[in-house]
Amino acid sequence: MGYTYDQVKLSETIAQQIGRRSATSLQWLRQQQEKLLQGGKNNVFGVTFTAIPRFVDKGDAGLAEADADLFSELRNGFTPLHWPLDRLARAWWLLQLPAADEAYYVMQVESLFEAAAVQEQVALYSALPLLAYPEQFKLRAAEGIRTSLGDVFDAVALDNPYPSEYLEEGAWNQLVLKAFFMERPVKRIIGLEKRVNPELGRMLTDYAREREAAGRTVDPQLHQLAARCAGKQ
Amino acid sequence: MCCSSALTESQLQDKDSEPLYLEKIKGMRFFDPHVHMTSRTTDDYQAMADAGVAAIIEPAFWLGQPRTGVDTFRDYYSSLIGWERFRASQFGIRHYCTIGLNSKEANNEGLAEEVMEILPLFIYKEGVVGVGEIGFDDQTALEEKYYRAQLELAKEANLPVQIHTPHRDKKRGTRRSMDIALEHGLDPGMVIVDHNNEETVKEVLDRGFWAAFTIYPFTKMGNERMVAVVKQYGSKNIMVNSAADWGISDPLAVPKTAALMKDQGITDSDIRLVTYQNAITAFGQSGQINEAEFAADADIDQSQRFEGSSVLRGGQQPRIDKRSAIIR
Repeated sequence: MGYTYDQVKLSETIAQQIGRRSATSLQWLRQQQEKLLQGGKNNVFGVTFTAIPRFVDKGDAGLAEADADLFSELRNGFTPLHWPLDRLARAWWLLQLPAADEAYYVMQVESLFEAAAVQEQVALYSALPLLAYPEQFKLRAAEGIRTSLGDVFDAVALDNPYPSEYLEEGAWNQLVLKAFFMERPVKRIIGLEKRVNPELGRMLTDYAREREAAGRTVDPQLHQLAARCAGKQ
Repeated sequence: MCCSSALTESQLQDKDSEPLYLEKIKGMRFFDPHVHMTSRTTDDYQAMADAGVAAIIEPAFWLGQPRTGVDTFRDYYSSLIGWERFRASQFGIRHYCTIGLNSKEANNEGLAEEVMEILPLFIYKEGVVGVGEIGFDDQTALEEKYYRAQLELAKEANLPVQIHTPHRDKKRGTRRSMDIALEHGLDPGMVIVDHNNEETVKEVLDRGFWAAFTIYPFTKMGNERMVAVVKQYGSKNIMVNSAADWGISDPLAVPKTAALMKDQGITDSDIRLVTYQNAITAFGQSGQINEAEFAADADIDQSQRFEGSSVLRGGQQPRIDKRSAIIR
């Protein structure tokens, strides 16, 4: 129903992890889940998403590599290593949104984006691969790339399987170019090798020349990647 | 000196010396619990950081002209918890805000209803330290209606309330604001009554509320008067702010007032209470203020962290030398 993977199982796995770290946090989340199941009055979905850090512990969720692998088995490429617990809780909360009605679902998720504070944006963008109807959020992901907030950009671009799976070529190329521009660790862009293309090669080469003309340094990875793009021609 | 000769480079440079008052307050830290940074420039942020302002609260207010739709309110609230906070962090200043429907725009009932619907979503955001600034402007029935509704909201969320008292018919408006807050069962210790003057302060303090003073040229308090108030009433439950906005106002009002207090013999510990600690104690009841966070920011070495980087990371920006005519 809109999901491309077994979201029930993932939801349970995340809940277990949260409970292991903080039983009271999970208890509060379960109580909110109950309210949502009973009809979700007074925008309980939106308010809960926002209020999570007031009721859920904020420290590192303490996921080990093995836990992250467990997630990745359920949703390929989803590895929330080093996530704080409240971000993991927000991902879990997103999975509780009824997804039977596509238009309703998309509208609810979009309204979270519209009023999102920085850490909420981080949580939302890094949870893109978990959403139902993922193809509906392509423009939103492209919007995330336009941000000037480093943490938000990282949430879309790094360690996130969504962009390489769903972005159109134009938006994808902007993501890669901007990662170089913002001096982000480009190696952490998932699916980079798979989506090299000649246009990206041209953009990277032009950008390198511009930097050289201004007397600025160029990341050696940029030249390597540009060469691989050219090889695709 | 005009028109007859070309400007030289040295004439374009800023004067090298610091203002004298900065010397007097060297090493002090300030908390400005009311300043509308949305209307200010990055130069103001820089000057505030240089003067020792460690953290601020930006209350939600109107923008100088009435808004016509709920979406612009949503975007405004979002900018207070998002972009503006980020902008402040570039200068090592911790930015908090209060969220509310201001009294002027409460008079547009249709719009006010829509705004009330989105408010609950915003008051639970991280770094929201209260409901504010709310209260009376013209003291109309609609202003009262939405003031009361928001008091209920604050009570439910267990958040402090920041009350804007009216410019006109102030004494009565201030008393009425307090009466209504008590009627709704709010603890006066959770309520900060703002824009006090010599005429209102006694009653506010006597009734157990926090009394905030706005140092704002011409229309509100001057800082010489403020010094006299502290001499008379002491430092308990009193706090100073700038309420700097788009008008002729001064984002350095808090450090300047501290310097004047120091000059006129008020003790360091009293200065600290009225220009820093009391605001933190009052708004800290939201559970959203963590002093350790702004202490950490102050120690960042900008050049080491950001040299050669064009990225905005939510830390401090590298400082540019404004005296140089060269821009790199």
